[in-house]
Amino acid sequence: MAVVEREFRRESHADPRVLRAVFSNTATAPLWLLARLYLGYQWLIAGWHKTVGDDRWIARDGPDGLALKAMWERATAVPRDGAPAISYDWYRDFLGYLLRHQVYTWFAWVIALGETAIGIALIIGVLTGFAALAGVFLTFNFQLMGTASVNPLLFIVALLIVFAWKVAGWIGVDRWLLPALGAPWRSGRCVRRFRKHPVPDPGIDATLSHA
Amino acid sequence: MERAAALIIGIVAWAAVAGVAVSVVQAWSGDNQVLAFLPILGAVIVAWAIGEVVTKRLFDGDEEESGGGG
Repeated sequence: MAVVEREFRRESHADPRVLRAVFSNTATAPLWLLARLYLGYQWLIAGWHKTVGDDRWIARDGPDGLALKAMWERATAVPRDGAPAISYDWYRDFLGYLLRHQVYTWFAWVIALGETAIGIALIIGVLTGFAALAGVFLTFNFQLMGTASVNPLLFIVALLIVFAWKVAGWIGVDRWLLPALGAPWRSGRCVRRFRKHPVPDPGIDATLSHA
Repeated sequence: MERAAALIIGIVAWAAVAGVAVSVVQAWSGDNQVLAFLPILGAVIVAWAIGEVVTKRLFDGDEEESGGGG
């Protein structure tokens, strides 16, 4: 038991100074703004074309999501010769399950509106970390489906923004929203209103030095 | 009252950025991504400046109370 306690004792290790400078310092906010705008614009284009226009996935005459259905069918097809698009059987089975249950009729709405929302959230910097994380999840799934295209680049950029969530939205709504909602380095104004005895706030420097 | 007005101005400014972004995508449809980048970047800078000049002046006190940073 003592061995387990010794091996798994609570011990936090601080990030190196260079990582803190890149991912936690507001001086890098302009860099993250450019990354956000690039990624947000890509998501907004992708989502907008699925939401409005002739090639849209949703709100069409007849069942919605037929384009998504066709995409899933292409992905799950196993060719007679050569390798299938999906490398993992469990993921092919999962998409097959979604196809059989016609999930595409409503899932097309989730993807179209989700991509649009991710794009707008990244551009205006609202809950940037969550928006980037949603982007990571989507691109991860597209890559599992065997669609490379621009997804590897979008995946990496989104992942870096997730790591920099504290400062990526500094030139954006998060500049005001995170302090209002609350963050690890500061309890939020909104949260404090519901607390009788607010917890003393050590500030960002104390948090980083003990991280 | 002054704070509410500043908050509304800030929200409108960032909502306008979203409007510009959607308009650019709708108008240019992603044909020229470099050209499309500029109005969106410009709108973000304007909204950020509004936030810093209008909103920050009014809410600075709150930030100092809660430990600074932000």
